[in-house]
Amino acid sequence: MALSREAYRALEDIVGPENISEEPAILDSYAFQWLAETIRPGQSKFMPRPEAAVLPGSTAEVQAIVKTCNRYKIKVKPYSTGWYFYCAPQTEGVIQLDMRRMDRILEIDERNMFAVVEPYVIAATLQAEVMKLGLNCNVTGAGASCSLLASATSYHGAGPSSIFGGENNQNLLSLEWVMPNGDILRTGSLGSGLGWFCGEGPGPSLRGIVRGMLGAKGGLGVFTKCALKLSPWPGPAELPVEGTVPAYNSPLPDNFRAYSLAFPSWENYFEAYYKIYDNEIGYIAHRQFSMLGTELGTAFWMLYNDPTKTLDDIEEFTQKPEIKKLTEEMKIAFQIVLAGLTPRHLEYQEKVLDEILADTGGWKVAAMSQPAMERFTLLYLIRLGHKNLNFVYNGGWLGTFMQAGPPDYVKGYRHIAEEVTEPYQKKGLLVDCGVDAMMGPVGSMGGGGNCALEQFGYYDVADKESTDAVVSWTKDCVKGAIDKGFVPGKGSHYLAMGMTREQRQSSYASAPWLGMYRWQRKIKGIIDPNDIGDELYPTLDEPGK
Amino acid sequence: MAGEKERLIGIVGKEHVLEAPEVLEAYSRDQGFVRPMKPWFVVEPESAAEVQKIVKWANETQTPLVPVSSSPPRFRGDTVPSLPGSVIVDLSRMNRIIRIDRRNRMIIIEPGVTYRQLQPALAREDLRLSTPLLPRPAKSVIASLLEREPTLVPRYNWSMPEPLRCLEVVWGNGEMLRTGEAGQYGSLESQWELGLAQVNSTGPGQVDYYRLMSAAQGTLGIATWASIKCEVLPKVHRLFFIPSPRLEGLIDCAYRLLRLRLGDEFLLLNSSNLAAILGGGASQTRALREELPPWVIIIGVAGRAKLPEERVEYQENDIRDIVQQFGLKLVSAVPGAGERAVLEAVLNPSPEPYWKLNCKGGCQDIFFLTTLNRTPEFLRTMYSVAVDLRYPTPEIGVYLQPQHQGTVCHCEFSLPFNREDSREMARTRELLSRASEALIEQGAFFSRPYGIWADMVYRRDAGAAGILKKLKEMFDPNGVLNPGKLCF
Repeated sequence: MALSREAYRALEDIVGPENISEEPAILDSYAFQWLAETIRPGQSKFMPRPEAAVLPGSTAEVQAIVKTCNRYKIKVKPYSTGWYFYCAPQTEGVIQLDMRRMDRILEIDERNMFAVVEPYVIAATLQAEVMKLGLNCNVTGAGASCSLLASATSYHGAGPSSIFGGENNQNLLSLEWVMPNGDILRTGSLGSGLGWFCGEGPGPSLRGIVRGMLGAKGGLGVFTKCALKLSPWPGPAELPVEGTVPAYNSPLPDNFRAYSLAFPSWENYFEAYYKIYDNEIGYIAHRQFSMLGTELGTAFWMLYNDPTKTLDDIEEFTQKPEIKKLTEEMKIAFQIVLAGLTPRHLEYQEKVLDEILADTGGWKVAAMSQPAMERFTLLYLIRLGHKNLNFVYNGGWLGTFMQAGPPDYVKGYRHIAEEVTEPYQKKGLLVDCGVDAMMGPVGSMGGGGNCALEQFGYYDVADKESTDAVVSWTKDCVKGAIDKGFVPGKGSHYLAMGMTREQRQSSYASAPWLGMYRWQRKIKGIIDPNDIGDELYPTLDEPGK
Repeated sequence: MAGEKERLIGIVGKEHVLEAPEVLEAYSRDQGFVRPMKPWFVVEPESAAEVQKIVKWANETQTPLVPVSSSPPRFRGDTVPSLPGSVIVDLSRMNRIIRIDRRNRMIIIEPGVTYRQLQPALAREDLRLSTPLLPRPAKSVIASLLEREPTLVPRYNWSMPEPLRCLEVVWGNGEMLRTGEAGQYGSLESQWELGLAQVNSTGPGQVDYYRLMSAAQGTLGIATWASIKCEVLPKVHRLFFIPSPRLEGLIDCAYRLLRLRLGDEFLLLNSSNLAAILGGGASQTRALREELPPWVIIIGVAGRAKLPEERVEYQENDIRDIVQQFGLKLVSAVPGAGERAVLEAVLNPSPEPYWKLNCKGGCQDIFFLTTLNRTPEFLRTMYSVAVDLRYPTPEIGVYLQPQHQGTVCHCEFSLPFNREDSREMARTRELLSRASEALIEQGAFFSRPYGIWADMVYRRDAGAAGILKKLKEMFDPNGVLNPGKLCF
């Protein structure tokens, strides 16, 4: 369903001929999306091809495009840096807005600790700039190469540093939003022309219709600018990077410590979470290195830090006695970075951490505290620049579970994730890296209190059976959670991408919380009357319509 | 009409439908300048189910409802009916503390729970709640949080409605929804069994309903319970002062301390406000005002779970080092105010009478949001307008409360006046109007637009007003909830 020439010309007039394309090869580059093979017919690696790719350079252009889409009844899907396959069109007949031209840091207010960014500002860019001023941004779990605006407005904004730096939903101040009807809404203080410092009000906070728990993933207009609260950075103005590719590391400033903390049992492990919350320590706290599986992960990290080795050497590494021992030691472990805002602050945190470890029977893993690993851990967690490793085993990765809640809640589903995963790994359909390939934030919100574990399944994107298996595994993960009373978790969102509209409607209608889909239909009716957004803003149809 | 009253009685019982003239008179006005309006009845539900029935009744009868949850004195006009024939829904009977979860530091309370009631109950469980500055003892905790009143500990302020998390809401159309993570599961009890504690405020789905409910002045829905995040009860709690003759002299130091997240309670007061907090009557307050330093940062340092003494000690040393760098002094007492007295005051609800009424019996506040660096210019404007109207500037109380970890600053001017003096009342009323306009013109963000501020604010933000009106129509299609407030 190609765009009408009239519509195309209208869009071309807005952005100029150099910023719009209908070339199939270009359009396919947008449709080629990670995870597409799990939901598309014939395990295609391509999501539906957009009708055109349009690159706006300003809010005015975005608004003009959205108004044009309303006029011609064309669906529009914005895409900044992307993550998963959510930013691709779900159906035919959609134009893709590629936001890469809107990549400016518009303002950094050092004293009041916030920055104003456009959609294509990635975390690494902002982080590098604000570190010069003694500030930091919360890099989300999607990593340093992802859009901060997207994390704050359109998807989940938690990351390893959220315990200290807040979740990006919490950090969101004023924003500018081209709503699907083409109107521009500026929230909070910005709406009155008073700057970006506050996202709430006047009166009821219209941030309430911006995102909710997981955002609309591009399904509800285009967010063109936002302000994000920053947090203190007590490190150097430039993060020194050393080491050999790919295992870059950063020398540890005197006021930083990076530890892997291990525990004798899961009970003790989660008890430590509670004590960390109550004692308010930690700059970054995350279960990270287990993401590659507790059987293979430790060997992987060791060989990754040996420039003479490749992935082919992993079996050899797993056989080394010291690696075997370390693998056992690291099974129930997470990573923590302590940063002293002052020298006394670090000293205090160290003492408290030692007491917490004494209380919980935990310990600092000595091998991970060696200078090389400590430096590696520090850079890894501060920058989150190693997201390519999610794909390292054989090109495919999918995460399930990740239901956020207090530690006692997460403890309740952890074993379900293992039980569901085991048969798939034993059959070789998923990488047999250990049934616990779970990672997640110790504190997914500012100050903690909430955490999560995401179970990774590594599949072979070139193998039909393995790809089928990861879908089946995802369904089992969802079912396993629901059967025990938990919400479906992250996997259900992936699976929903493969549903037809009818299937989605049926799923919403049977959900115990279906009221929210009705309210969202009403909200969509207000701001997207021509339905130019997509179904990632879920709504339940009125009966009979 | 009689039939309608009978239906109300059928919902809440005869003894909870009040219509005595003195009762209606009491709800018809507050301490502010809003036009008095007697309600038709006052109803006192005791459960969410009753609230829901009342709202449905109001929709059927096209009766305006005005939710009220705090006892007087009230100040902002939001609880005074704007239309005749309104029914006050007084939620003070819904005063159950539903759950105190020490492990997750979460509580669930009903709207009638007051600060006076809550803090002792929390203390027994090793918890406390960061409060506004000396809230009225009978102030509803939920109302305070929904109003986005500033709280004293900026570093716990991860987001503006903190520490508010999930809500149960009866919308204006009578539908009920649980917000945040509470909205996605079964009963509260089944959620608790799974280990949940209603911690996550976002959602359900793609909407943050609790944000829509905040600062809504009861115009969209009625909250029937809320979950709230608490703090560990301090084992050691110190309080220090950083005095200065000028506000400007404190700003840079405050920014540095906030950047390093030093201190717990962190606020700036002028002598008028500190005197009102400590004073006992007009003459004593006036005398104390002269004795106190003109400006002071008040900074509390708490030691909570582990190594409490060490935490307080390191923070005190760090704060002292920084304060010295700015040519200031960190002291545990200033002339007229000692550590214990002020700590006791700011950690507790106000004694009776409410501290703002100490000086002259009446008080009008002007408050807004800005950034800390801009507060001196707003102060100058406030004083300038006051001088023009011959309002005595030494009486103006100033309270600056950093919020959202220092990114935002609540700026509050308190204008005491004698309620028995009609000229003084008229002058204060004029000052409220003129100063508010001048401050808004200067860039003050009146994020909670009560009373006369609503028109001033929404004139300048037509985009927000337009969307809010549509949302109001969605949640409250018959406009029964507190009509006449905000832009509705």
